[in-house]
Amino acid sequence: MGRYDFRPLRVRETAKALFDTKRNPRLPEWYKIIGDFPPTETLARPVQRAPKPVRTGKKPSRMFQPLPIRYKEDELRTDFFGDHPWELARPRIIVEDSGNDAKNYDWSKGIVQPGKQVDGESVVQRQMYLIKHERLPKAAAYDKARREFYAYRHRQDLLRRIAREEALYVGAYFGAGPLEVGMQLEDKAFEGWKSWAEKRIEDEEAMRSQLMSAPQPPSDTEAVRLAEEESVSEVEEVEEGVVQRSGEGAVQRS
Amino acid sequence: MIVRNTIARHVTFAGRRALAQNRNTVRRFLSTQVDSIESSSESSVKQVHSLEAQINTTAPQSLPPVPTFNPDSNGTLDSPVAVSVAEQYYMFKEQQKHLGKLGSEISPHYQPHTLLNNPPSPADVTLELLLASEAHQGHATSLWNPANARYIHGIRQGVHIISLEATAAHLRRSAKVVEEVCRRGGMVLFVGTRAEQDRAVVKAAQLAKGYHLFERWIPGSITNGQQILGKCRTMVVDEKDQYQPQFNEQLYERPVLRPDLVVCLNPLENYVLLHECALNAIPTIGVIDTNADPTWVTYPIPANDDSLRCIQVIAGVLGRAGEAGQKARLAAAEQGEITFQPARNLKMPEEEEEEGSASAASKSKQ
Repeated sequence: MGRYDFRPLRVRETAKALFDTKRNPRLPEWYKIIGDFPPTETLARPVQRAPKPVRTGKKPSRMFQPLPIRYKEDELRTDFFGDHPWELARPRIIVEDSGNDAKNYDWSKGIVQPGKQVDGESVVQRQMYLIKHERLPKAAAYDKARREFYAYRHRQDLLRRIAREEALYVGAYFGAGPLEVGMQLEDKAFEGWKSWAEKRIEDEEAMRSQLMSAPQPPSDTEAVRLAEEESVSEVEEVEEGVVQRSGEGAVQRS
Repeated sequence: MIVRNTIARHVTFAGRRALAQNRNTVRRFLSTQVDSIESSSESSVKQVHSLEAQINTTAPQSLPPVPTFNPDSNGTLDSPVAVSVAEQYYMFKEQQKHLGKLGSEISPHYQPHTLLNNPPSPADVTLELLLASEAHQGHATSLWNPANARYIHGIRQGVHIISLEATAAHLRRSAKVVEEVCRRGGMVLFVGTRAEQDRAVVKAAQLAKGYHLFERWIPGSITNGQQILGKCRTMVVDEKDQYQPQFNEQLYERPVLRPDLVVCLNPLENYVLLHECALNAIPTIGVIDTNADPTWVTYPIPANDDSLRCIQVIAGVLGRAGEAGQKARLAAAEQGEITFQPARNLKMPEEEEEEGSASAASKSKQ
């Protein structure tokens, strides 16, 4: 069959052939329908780029590849989000209601539009409007649009703060904030570590005092005596070394 | 309301403060005086409560005092609200009457369930609807199948954008095919085996009076149908979809039914199904994303198969088309016109000879 399987596209011809050769006693119900509404042509590539003027030894390339889509706003978007990268971190609603949402916006009236979240896209659209209709240069339009945006954000912050104060006044109780919760967790971990460390110190002290004072079990006396002898000899060696080295130091210093 | 509550609470706080002062003085006096002072403090509490009640009754809206949340009070309220459910309900209604219209007005917006409960018909397909349902989003450019070049509008941020005009045209064509097949009494199978596609598939099958598959396609259900579906019950209906039990004896030795049209919403996962359809010359309709092969199906619908909203729109449109076809078929049957060929090898039983066997179509109920 080759690379492609065209049997799905040729169901009508197949059905006709089966009927003609009496494999099937009658044509299927959809035979006439597919004749009336035939499948579209497939595997046809539209030419996207005109081939360049003939040069020697060079075949035209990428003639059938789709072209990139570019808009004027792209540059403005790059500028704005380059200057305000944290605007990208804000959650954004991207669900369209009817697909005609943008037709309800009138950017001559300012940056706040009904049903539209005010974000970087608002700045870009407002700037586009100012450039296109008020004939402002790009930088001036950017400044105007972004000042409106800053004013809006400032006002939102104020409203939020006032709402919080009002709520506190009439008895609202906000729980611990994220910083306080983090501090509590940190304190808890620290207290846990402190108790663990105290317990370890106590254990070690108890073990040390036991080693120093308690009578040894009779079966281990020999081993302990040997170990003590070893340790004594090691200590003596070390002490000798220390004495020698300090003597050398004294010699050098003198 | 805030002002009223503030007054009530200030009164309450003042009363409590007085009470606390009383109690502090109590400790300084002799113990014999405690009883009388206690009783006086009780009476002052009662006074405070009566004052509070008076304020509440004279307030412009007769609402119950809102208990404030005090984290130090171990869940006990200052004034216990001991009202029955009915009273609470009437208070709520009263409150709603006064405050219900406050706040912002919510303009009509996208509600996901409407695509399932009331799917759009082929006439409702607009480029805006397809755009809103993200039918234009293809895959990354490196994943594309070059056979889809003519459905692709361009490249945006490394992603192929499907041409919505192509989507709408192919969707309308497929809707026409589904409608005509349903009008001629054909059997349509809707297949969508990805997660969450089940409701859209079932709804489309209900509308088109077809069949649905939202779990795994059992390989061989068409090519080896006698083994896999042989036990499934079939029944005979007439042109008005009335069950005809007198044909039941003739149904044992009949071949297994096959669909006349298969609508596949995720062809990438159902290659086996589409291959079986191709082997048996069954036309297929499929949603072809930019990474799928359009030659797998007879009628491709270039669209985004990863968007559930897009799948719901496409399934709903095809289901509505099937519904229109079924309605046309039943309307023609009312006029005495039969739009399909009778089932083969079905003989009229002796006692029902006069009804005419030409009107019998066979359908399976699985």
